[in-house]
Amino acid sequence: MNRANRSSEAASVNLSELLARVDNDRALLCELLSIFKREFPDHLQALRNAVAGNDADKAARVSHTLKGMLANLAVTKAAASASRLERLARAGEISTLGDALAAFEKEVQGLLPEMESYLAEARP
Amino acid sequence: MRILIADDDALSRGLLEKTLERADYEVTTVADGRHAVEILSKPDAPRLALLDWMMPELDGPEVCREIRKHRDQGYVYMILLTSKESKEDIVAGLESGADDYLVKPFDTEELKARLRTGERILHLENRLVEAREQMRFKATHDPLTSLWNRGVIMDLMGRELVRSQREHGCTAALLGDLDHFKSVNDTHGHLVGDQVLREAARRLLLSVRSYDFVGRYGGEEFLIVLNNCRPDSAMARAEEIRKIICTRPIQTDAGLLGITMSLGVLLSSNWGRRPADELLREVDAALYAAKTAGRNCVRLAKREEPREFAPAPQPAAGRFR
Repeated sequence: MNRANRSSEAASVNLSELLARVDNDRALLCELLSIFKREFPDHLQALRNAVAGNDADKAARVSHTLKGMLANLAVTKAAASASRLERLARAGEISTLGDALAAFEKEVQGLLPEMESYLAEARP
Repeated sequence: MRILIADDDALSRGLLEKTLERADYEVTTVADGRHAVEILSKPDAPRLALLDWMMPELDGPEVCREIRKHRDQGYVYMILLTSKESKEDIVAGLESGADDYLVKPFDTEELKARLRTGERILHLENRLVEAREQMRFKATHDPLTSLWNRGVIMDLMGRELVRSQREHGCTAALLGDLDHFKSVNDTHGHLVGDQVLREAARRLLLSVRSYDFVGRYGGEEFLIVLNNCRPDSAMARAEEIRKIICTRPIQTDAGLLGITMSLGVLLSSNWGRRPADELLREVDAALYAAKTAGRNCVRLAKREEPREFAPAPQPAAGRFR
């Protein structure tokens, strides 16, 4: 897990929780990580666009989706950060969304490479 | 056990699907509420459903409300999946008709335990439906022969009479009575008598079409209603029924017994608009006529023109004659 350690400031995966959730099924873990890898960048971009366009409804919807994905993969801190974004967006606090997004981006920074390294290890 | 998963998040869907398959569920997945309603509304739908709260098209509570509108269908046990923590939301979700909710990300063991609760409820419903169907059967059928009981066969006859009048068709009512049945009981006992009744009932059912009705009218009396019966074929069909009883002796614990049946026949098209109980008296009279004619035969209920309604002689019409 060297690569994961390198991005230590980012919130990383709670691996033991994740493995318990998939019941140590490496194939399933790979599948879930692949879905994440495929979908996460698009959602993140959609979130950036929504915040830039002051579209609170859209920002709430996308951050809700991101929160679910992250929580399912036991990326606890990033999920909490997405949850905060969702809450603010629902409350219509558009002025605070920029900062919340920046905080979220910081949390998920390095997440994809980290996932990549798990994927490499989990692949049979 | 089959289960539906509705969740727009592919990751969550994949995780749930695998988890439940591993727990031996037969899983169907959809990505929005509209499809969930579609699948759950089918006659042979899964009866367990995990519904994500926030979904495109219809959200989880909306799916619940939609499904709960169809009360006539089998119960669907629905669990909402939510990441919401507020009490108001939970209450709103349950009031939409959901049975339970689970907070995501869920614990696998808790998920399975909650699904088992759902299965217990569904099992309970199955038993209630089964009991209701048994009661319904008992309330409408004769316990010995499983034919329609007296009340039901008379209702059915009344309904068919009204229908044939409306459609200008003809319903034939056949009242059949086993000859000398009392002596079967007296000689061989009631158990043998019951065996004769059961076999006679079985043969009667075999001799009619699937849309005709056969009921046990009284002790050894059977009422048969032939729907949409051609008037010129009614006597021949009654004759067939007479023969199916007498041709082969009936196997009983007392050995083979030769049994015969006398029948009265009534064609509704001959009798105009008359209530069912009045027509029953007429077909009963025809049955009596068959008995006095020596039994093991068929007699038609004939309508005698009542004198007072006979057409009056026309007065002479003078110069036109």
